[in-house]
Amino acid sequence: MSAIVTHDLSKTYKSLGKATVHSLRNVNMEVQENEIYGFLGRNGAGKTTAIKLLTGLIQATKGRAEIFGEDAVLPSARARIGYLPEHPYFYEYLTPRETIAFYGKLRGLSKDAIRKEWLRISEMLFLDEFADRRIRGFSKGMRQRVGLGVALIGNPPLLLLDEPMSGLDPYGRRMVREIMLRLRAEGKTVFFSSHILTDVEEISDRVGILVSGVLAASGRIKDLTAGAQKAVELCCSGLKDEDVNAITARGIECRRGEEHQVTFILPEVAEAPPLIAEIQQKGGMLLSLIPVLESLEDFFTKLQQREQNPSGKDGADHE
Amino acid sequence: MNRIVTIAQNTFRESIRDKVLYVLLFFALATILGSKVLGWISIGQDIKIIKDISLAAMSVFGALIAIFVGATLVYKEMDKKTLYTILSQPMKRYEFVTGKYLGLVALLGVSLIIMAAGSTLYLKIAGAAIGLIWFQAILLIYIKLLLITAFAILLSTVVSPILGALIVFSFYVGGHATDVLRDLPPQFDGTRAKQVLETLYYVIPNLNLFNVQSEAANMVPVTWPYVFYAVAYGISWTLFLLILACLAFERRDV
Repeated sequence: MSAIVTHDLSKTYKSLGKATVHSLRNVNMEVQENEIYGFLGRNGAGKTTAIKLLTGLIQATKGRAEIFGEDAVLPSARARIGYLPEHPYFYEYLTPRETIAFYGKLRGLSKDAIRKEWLRISEMLFLDEFADRRIRGFSKGMRQRVGLGVALIGNPPLLLLDEPMSGLDPYGRRMVREIMLRLRAEGKTVFFSSHILTDVEEISDRVGILVSGVLAASGRIKDLTAGAQKAVELCCSGLKDEDVNAITARGIECRRGEEHQVTFILPEVAEAPPLIAEIQQKGGMLLSLIPVLESLEDFFTKLQQREQNPSGKDGADHE
Repeated sequence: MNRIVTIAQNTFRESIRDKVLYVLLFFALATILGSKVLGWISIGQDIKIIKDISLAAMSVFGALIAIFVGATLVYKEMDKKTLYTILSQPMKRYEFVTGKYLGLVALLGVSLIIMAAGSTLYLKIAGAAIGLIWFQAILLIYIKLLLITAFAILLSTVVSPILGALIVFSFYVGGHATDVLRDLPPQFDGTRAKQVLETLYYVIPNLNLFNVQSEAANMVPVTWPYVFYAVAYGISWTLFLLILACLAFERRDV
């Protein structure tokens, strides 16, 4: 069974005297069980709106969302979700231990179950060090840990994390990544939004990319970028400076390295054989020929540019 | 039910920390104690004046707590975004609204008990006789506060706190003036204004029904059927307004 399925999920905001905003448009998405799904998009692309629809915080204008086959608006669907908002806000006068107990009660857990959950969660997120301090004075990283703790109460099979790494220091980001990987290893599904591509690229099994409220692409990173060879890097040594200059004068980009090594960057692999012959003819030696594949960042940038310039002739539609 | 109790307990705890509560309680107790001053200048009537002012203080300051705390109750949760993590739990929205309401009326109950205990003790020290009507009057003030709080919660789910407080305050004033709407002078007979004002009489709850302060001050008993009727009237309006609040919040985007 899929953890998340959306059918034409749309959200439009209308308010008097203001322009209508189509925050999400006909999003059809499927997230499998036990995968980490990265939800990418620029600020304002509609990521938070989609997550709020999945948690039932807002109502869809059109379409619907299912959580493990149940309509997302039902409380029984929310029982299978752990949610971390982008900026987690809690009652400032409560301590992390009291916060976990409060949300545990809302999840219908018994006192004993809440005590066990505290032990499990505080061990995982190192909450013990500030367990009985009021949240009021907490830093962003500490709040994020409490927020993750709240999302983990009741051991839900699906975690919806809205920008879980934003505003965290490198150590905090690493900790969140490790927790997400640990959750997947425990059989959970993790759906997280981000605009930090490296984080997404590092841990996601699959990604979805939102552009202006539309799901512009969805799939495995290597499938999305497969076949999209960006360039060929040809590394050689033993060329004289004037020979290198003669080649770059033809518009071929180059990078100079140590010990007279030079790397030429060619847009097409077909341009490599004549250049290799030329290098050898001029006494140079070929060291490596590496195709450079498109990264997620390149693909993401291309989608944004396509949105800004729809008449452009960029690659295929991956949806 | 457990979720409602959890939200109610937390609301009670949160409201106790609200500075508005302490300011209003301080003024209420100061007014009750200050009523002695008015007692001095009304020769032979001091006990009656103390009773009258004490009950009026409980009513007015209780209503102010209901209005100012109640009108911000749900809105504040939306504004501070604490609602995100609460409503994403497997709970129904009516459980949240009901829990918030019960938390506030528990707080009002405690506030009223403090004010009532203070004024009763004060009256006892002053040598006043305290009859059943005194406690009936306090009970009816509490029922009135339940109703006002329900209206404040309803508005808190749909408008900003300032607008909400203004509307509830108008509702409070209008609710005490419903007799005026019904007993219009003969000049209004046959006019459209009379029809409109008479309709308003039935649409706005009659808050004067809960007002037996003058009877309490003069030790004039009221019958139990009257008290039961007033309680039933208040509870019915309260339930109606609470159901409206739950419905208004049910599909609200947060």
